[in-house]
Amino acid sequence: MRVGLVTSAVVHVGLILWGTLALPDATPFEVTAVESLPVDLVPISELTDLQRGDRTAKEIREVPSEAEVEPTPEPEPEPQPEPPGVQPTPEPTPPTPEQTPQQATPEPAAPEPAPEPEPAPPEPEPEPVQESVPEPEPVPEPEPEPQPQEQAEAPSEIPDTARPRAKPTPPKRTQTAQNKDKRNDEMAALLNKVQPAGGGSQRNSQPASLGARRGNDNAKMTQSELDSLRGQIGRCWSPPIGAAEAEGLLVKVKMQLNRDGTVAAPPKVINTGSSQFFPAAASAATRAVLRCQPYQLPADKYDAWEEVIVNFDPREMLGG
Amino acid sequence: MNPVDLAQSALEAPVGDLSLLTLFLDAHIVVKFVMIGLLLASIWCWAIIIDKSILFARTRSQMNRFEKIFWSGQSLEELYRSLSGRGNHALAALFVAAMREWKRSHEKGRAALGSLNIRIDKVLDVTIAREVERLENRLLFLATVGASAPFIGLFGTVWGIMTAFQAIAASKNTNLAVVAPGIAEALFATALGLFAAIPAVIAYNKFANDVGKLSGRMEGFADEFSAILSRQIDERL
Repeated sequence: MRVGLVTSAVVHVGLILWGTLALPDATPFEVTAVESLPVDLVPISELTDLQRGDRTAKEIREVPSEAEVEPTPEPEPEPQPEPPGVQPTPEPTPPTPEQTPQQATPEPAAPEPAPEPEPAPPEPEPEPVQESVPEPEPVPEPEPEPQPQEQAEAPSEIPDTARPRAKPTPPKRTQTAQNKDKRNDEMAALLNKVQPAGGGSQRNSQPASLGARRGNDNAKMTQSELDSLRGQIGRCWSPPIGAAEAEGLLVKVKMQLNRDGTVAAPPKVINTGSSQFFPAAASAATRAVLRCQPYQLPADKYDAWEEVIVNFDPREMLGG
Repeated sequence: MNPVDLAQSALEAPVGDLSLLTLFLDAHIVVKFVMIGLLLASIWCWAIIIDKSILFARTRSQMNRFEKIFWSGQSLEELYRSLSGRGNHALAALFVAAMREWKRSHEKGRAALGSLNIRIDKVLDVTIAREVERLENRLLFLATVGASAPFIGLFGTVWGIMTAFQAIAASKNTNLAVVAPGIAEALFATALGLFAAIPAVIAYNKFANDVGKLSGRMEGFADEFSAILSRQIDERL
């Protein structure tokens, strides 16, 4: 035993000495100079926004920027040909075609002579269209080319058209709501002096770009906002747990929303399923839609979420 | 501290030589104890390994030599006389034990042959057990070190990293140059644990196998010798 112990101790001491003296130290890493890369943080809406256009168009067209273009106040009755794919919404029209003339009192500063004369908004013909566009009005067509001298004095001239998309309200809204809306508009007009109107694919004479019918002009319904709506509905939804063949239980519900987030019409199930549990799932989905109203959605993008189709898929809910 | 200062301090931080000795000397006291214990365990393991290697080699050669003599046709009485004087191991010990029992049974005038066969078997069994115990002695330590040294080393590493993080928290600087030496010291404990454990495991497996082979060989010889003696007894009855 002694032989083994002595040998082992000697060898260990030798190893330690060798390790301390002869074993090479770790060589330092080579640090090469790396060129720094610029990294931009961009909002995701730039990636997820849908461009407004026609679904059947063949190509994606760049839409002229609308940021700086001011609508010229003088009415230009020249009827430009509307783009074929786009339902024309006359953006820069001041919200004068509201219910009553006295409602329009804040707006006489706007010097548009043409649209004013008929302040009767409940014209029946724009109703069938969802955009509720007072179509046949002589639209004050803005000239696409910016006029700098107009820009300079624009804020004083058009104090109330800061949110033109919010204007064409459906006529069934109540007086009080409209009053509130007007106050909001005044506030917004005071706050937001830049008129983001004019230009755009809407009044372009060029053919429509490929895009969604409800894609953005100004309303940016981003993917995260859609997810938010989905999450709001999903909280109230009790999926058909335990129902077999959850694959056949996809329910698509088409819902129409009011501007305040409440459901305007009874939600409609627009698909059918083969499963025997489909009726239960469909009613669960409609119940969820009704139960969770009002929905918290960005009011200035009402056009984007006025009509929404929601998929209720139990597989996603059940972790499938 | 702004980034420029951080970079400066990182550049100026003394790049201590991370040799094994400094790794040991800079370590926390608990880690030091762990390292010393692992080193001693390694020394003792290697002592056992060397000892057992010598023992097994010698036992094997003794067995070979004895079997050669035993089957050479030499008289058993002569062989017993030549072997009985000195300390024997393995097969020789078996032979001497069995022959001693045989002699004692014939000492007192009348031979006690009735259950001599059983007695000889028992003596052989006891001798085999003693020889195997001698061979297996201290092998358990190898098994223990092989199983537990990595954990002990890991304990040292965890402790070292713990203190390293405490030091980082105290110095409020997470620069890698500050963090790295403490972690390297801590990892050294695991390295030592593996350094002790790997040879121990390998040697234990080898020696356990060798013990099995040698004891099998001894049992085979014992059975053969018992058969020879049993034949002699039956002839004399």
